[in-house]
Amino acid sequence: MNIVVCLHAPPPDPDGAGIGRDDAFALTQALALAGGPHTVTAVLAGTSHESGPLQRALIAGANRAVRIGGEDYASVDFHTLGQALAAGVKKIGADLVLTGARSDDEGLGAVPASTARSLGFPFIATIEELAAAGPRAVEVVVRGGGRKRRLRVELPAVLSIVAPPPGATLRGDRTANPREVELLTLADPETTVVRRRTELLGKPEPASRGAEEVTSAKAFVAALTRR
Amino acid sequence: MARAAGVTVFAVVMTERHLDEKVALQLGRAGADKVLSCEGPGLGAPPLDLTHGAALYAAVERIPPLLVLFPAGGAGAQLGPGLASRLGGAFAASADLELGEAATPLADGIGRIFVRRWRGDRSSYRRLDPVELERPVVAVLPAGGAFVERGSSDVEVEIITCVAPTKLGVSEIASEVDEHAAASLASILVVVDPAVGAEALAKLSAAAPADVTVVDAVAAASAIAMAVPRIVVTVGGRPSPVSGTPRSRIGAVLANGDAAARSPRAATDVVLRMGAGGATDELLGELAASLSALVGGEKGKRA
Repeated sequence: MNIVVCLHAPPPDPDGAGIGRDDAFALTQALALAGGPHTVTAVLAGTSHESGPLQRALIAGANRAVRIGGEDYASVDFHTLGQALAAGVKKIGADLVLTGARSDDEGLGAVPASTARSLGFPFIATIEELAAAGPRAVEVVVRGGGRKRRLRVELPAVLSIVAPPPGATLRGDRTANPREVELLTLADPETTVVRRRTELLGKPEPASRGAEEVTSAKAFVAALTRR
Repeated sequence: MARAAGVTVFAVVMTERHLDEKVALQLGRAGADKVLSCEGPGLGAPPLDLTHGAALYAAVERIPPLLVLFPAGGAGAQLGPGLASRLGGAFAASADLELGEAATPLADGIGRIFVRRWRGDRSSYRRLDPVELERPVVAVLPAGGAFVERGSSDVEVEIITCVAPTKLGVSEIASEVDEHAAASLASILVVVDPAVGAEALAKLSAAAPADVTVVDAVAAASAIAMAVPRIVVTVGGRPSPVSGTPRSRIGAVLANGDAAARSPRAATDVVLRMGAGGATDELLGELAASLSALVGGEKGKRA
């Protein structure tokens, strides 16, 4: 089984883990499934400066780490990013595509759906647990409609994963994995990435609203319910 | 808002059997002008893009919509991204609606509906105008309150017969009641760090009125990951696991020595510090007693 984990470059944060919470959990789940005939490939669309999560994936034990180079993916919408990732995944080859349910910045959760649509794979969002169920299927746990369900999903599929707190901790030794991040360009004429633009409209927007500090529960509630 | 903007409201219902007339009447009273009932095998089950996505798209394609809105609490997280992808539209995972004037106004007396969603760093929001974008916006709205009658029971119902997919690729192995289901629908959510102590969770839970949901930050983490509350209160050092919408308010009750909880997903609006000894009984008691005021204030704001 070829497992591809799609990663996202988190916003710059000196105290951050260098990889999104949900992305890290997706990677640990993929690595838990790996071994034997299974391979794990981490993929990220971005610049070389944004390849930190791929280095983390190699440290954690991913078989390959592939950066899809090209445009400034930080400024494109989820349709374009999904198409770019899908184009990369098609070249790599995948039975199972895992992603974090939401990135730590935009947090829309829409890229996995777009990737699945571009790949023509079925998509299930916000799964909590993942286990192998034979060579061509996995078992997942997902909530919805007041139920917590365990489902058997035939592959290929795209699954987005929600991390439990405090999030996954990726461990490993970089020296134990001599592989380097590979570069994949989408210059193939068969690959058409449609650039879309999100239009920003309307009046001037407010600056950061900041945090107000209060000293009593009464003031706390009043601040939370202020018009 | 739809009346002011001069737009028609369609309610889309997925059902295994024929739509119950009571449900259609209730949707009409809630403000729907028309109900689209997608009827087909498997559509009564909890929604997945895999099982419900095509049926939803078939219904939505008939309209075609300016805005597709999901209520908070599950279906939006499952179906919203896939629908936005199929429609080629924008997506907002937690958004507010706003009625305003556009730079290029429509006819006299017709307002414009905007969708507000957070920017990546949560410092400001984006205002999306579906008319200017020339493509639909799919959005998940925050959890609401009690049912409010805004329409009439005179509602037209159109039935869309959906056929089951020939190859589904998914089967249910087990299913149990989700004990944290209410948390994903909560309008006012209090998230208690277990490090603060079980007594704090018990005390706040016992004092919480019906409209306030109090959960353990770890035990309910997965359930609340996709919640869209209007007010979030975190108690203890853990940052808020959810950001809510641009109009949502986030409060943090912190131990005295703690820095304001940092989260890439949520900016804290109000901070209340506990005493030097941590979660003092007195302060938790005061907070517990104030929870009903939180409900009252929020209801007043919505009114």
